[in-house]
Amino acid sequence: MQGEQITQEDRFWLLVSLKLAGEATPEELAELETFLQQRPEMGLRMEMLNGFWLGEPEDQGRRNDALNRHLQRLSNHLSTPTLNYEATMATEEAPAPLPVETHTRGIYRLLWPIVGIAAAIALIFFISHRPESIKNERVEQVAENTISTKPGSKSKIQLPDGSQVWLNADSRITYNETFRGPFREVQITGEAYFDIAKDKDHPFIIHANSIDVRVLGTSLNIRSYANEKNTEAVLIRGSIEVTLRSSPDKKIILQPNEKLVVQNGKAVVVKGMPSVQKYEDAPVMILGKAHIQPKDTIAMDILWVKNKLAFDHETLEEVARKIERWYAVKVNIPDERLKHVEYSGVFEDESLRQVMEALRWTGNFRYSINKREVTITP
Amino acid sequence: MQERIAFYEDMKAYNQLFLLLSGGIFRFTYSLVKSNEVAEEIVSDVFIKLWQIKDRLPEIENLKVYLYTIAKNFSLNYINKHYKNTVVSLDGLDVETMIDLNSPAEMCVSADLVQQIRKVIRQLPPQCRLIFQMVKEDGLRYKEVAAILDISPLTVRNQLAIAIKKIGESLPVYLQSGFTMVSRFSHS
Repeated sequence: MQGEQITQEDRFWLLVSLKLAGEATPEELAELETFLQQRPEMGLRMEMLNGFWLGEPEDQGRRNDALNRHLQRLSNHLSTPTLNYEATMATEEAPAPLPVETHTRGIYRLLWPIVGIAAAIALIFFISHRPESIKNERVEQVAENTISTKPGSKSKIQLPDGSQVWLNADSRITYNETFRGPFREVQITGEAYFDIAKDKDHPFIIHANSIDVRVLGTSLNIRSYANEKNTEAVLIRGSIEVTLRSSPDKKIILQPNEKLVVQNGKAVVVKGMPSVQKYEDAPVMILGKAHIQPKDTIAMDILWVKNKLAFDHETLEEVARKIERWYAVKVNIPDERLKHVEYSGVFEDESLRQVMEALRWTGNFRYSINKREVTITP
Repeated sequence: MQERIAFYEDMKAYNQLFLLLSGGIFRFTYSLVKSNEVAEEIVSDVFIKLWQIKDRLPEIENLKVYLYTIAKNFSLNYINKHYKNTVVSLDGLDVETMIDLNSPAEMCVSADLVQQIRKVIRQLPPQCRLIFQMVKEDGLRYKEVAAILDISPLTVRNQLAIAIKKIGESLPVYLQSGFTMVSRFSHS
């Protein structure tokens, strides 16, 4: 635009553009003023341009939603047990392995359908402005969504119906992408805490290792790791109906703060207080009270949601499993006798070494930490 | 403990930075990849990258430009991978801009006129449209736009002037003629 003859109008539009962009020098602004005095009819156009240049400020809620989704992804990717819970960022000492990020398209696509659902609390819609020009084949082809956490990492997700799910370390949840149909169904491996949105017409069904749980609107914890003997369901609010996969005719109704323990693969129903040693003998399914931690009045089973590592009369073998997942380490206990000693305790924001120290004090054993491997010896 | 405080402070600053810049970077990325899902994912990748290099941040001169540039590279990578036509620069790449216009009432003009402005914007050349969006919506300086797009600041200045001229010329000179134009449109 330099050199050859610049028309007066071109010069005018250049000055207007500089002014709007905030790039004009005082001289240029003065020049614009002079021009407008000579050509007052251009004033209206400039006013209109001004009017639409100053757009509305961006929807802050939408950005907050985007931030939360991003933080979930960040925590997954860094394999840091970061859980954004009740607006506080809870953090543990991060296990070291930072995965070198490459693909990532996967998880995000999975999280996307969650967008657009009014969260019960947030009540904010993410306004989807997908232009019609995208003929998006990926939308049609993906039938199932799977969200998983690595050892040492947790995640909170929202399902398309507004239900919230906290996924503990090394766990996986799978659900139909559209989440439509007569039932809201999810498959769970590992441990998850559910806060399920009420919808009487669409019962929520959780498929775990050996049980199916039917829910109307409630919160509960499901623990169903493939490498553990038991599948557990703890009800916090509402009521649920549990069916054993192996004997579908038997239905168990759980009341709040009740806990159901099912030994995987077997189907005898026995009611009684849960006690770890008895599992070996007869009862394969135990219905009992969930242990409430007096200080917090919150069931021990869901302390992990609050980023607390809790053991409730658990054998060292079980404790080791939890530590493995929590800190993304490997725990070896070569001595058989040590494995069956019971421990209880709640840890918050403690490092692996601090937890091991505390256990060592009460447990009378020795341990060594070598990189990501812990060995416990008498 | 000190580390922890430092970490929390970091986290807070990081979150604020995300809230401040992610909107613009999303828009920019969307313009290139033309998909909400992909754009949001790339934005997230950009900020993951930022987290990973957070110790080296003091070395970065202009963080905004830096993040936009990462977003540009990620977008071009994505386009290369998914459209099988090798793109090395933004030249010739069609863009899909997201330019917000106020509602007709706020702009004191008719809905027809807003439609007309949109049409004019759509007809701008891709690069011109992208520059227009980056300056108007993201509030970037000419120098910043130039650094991100790897062009000269003078080009940015000229392109924006062209956009403003095209839009400006589509606007009525007098309010009166604006109304007559409106009524002519609505009767047709």
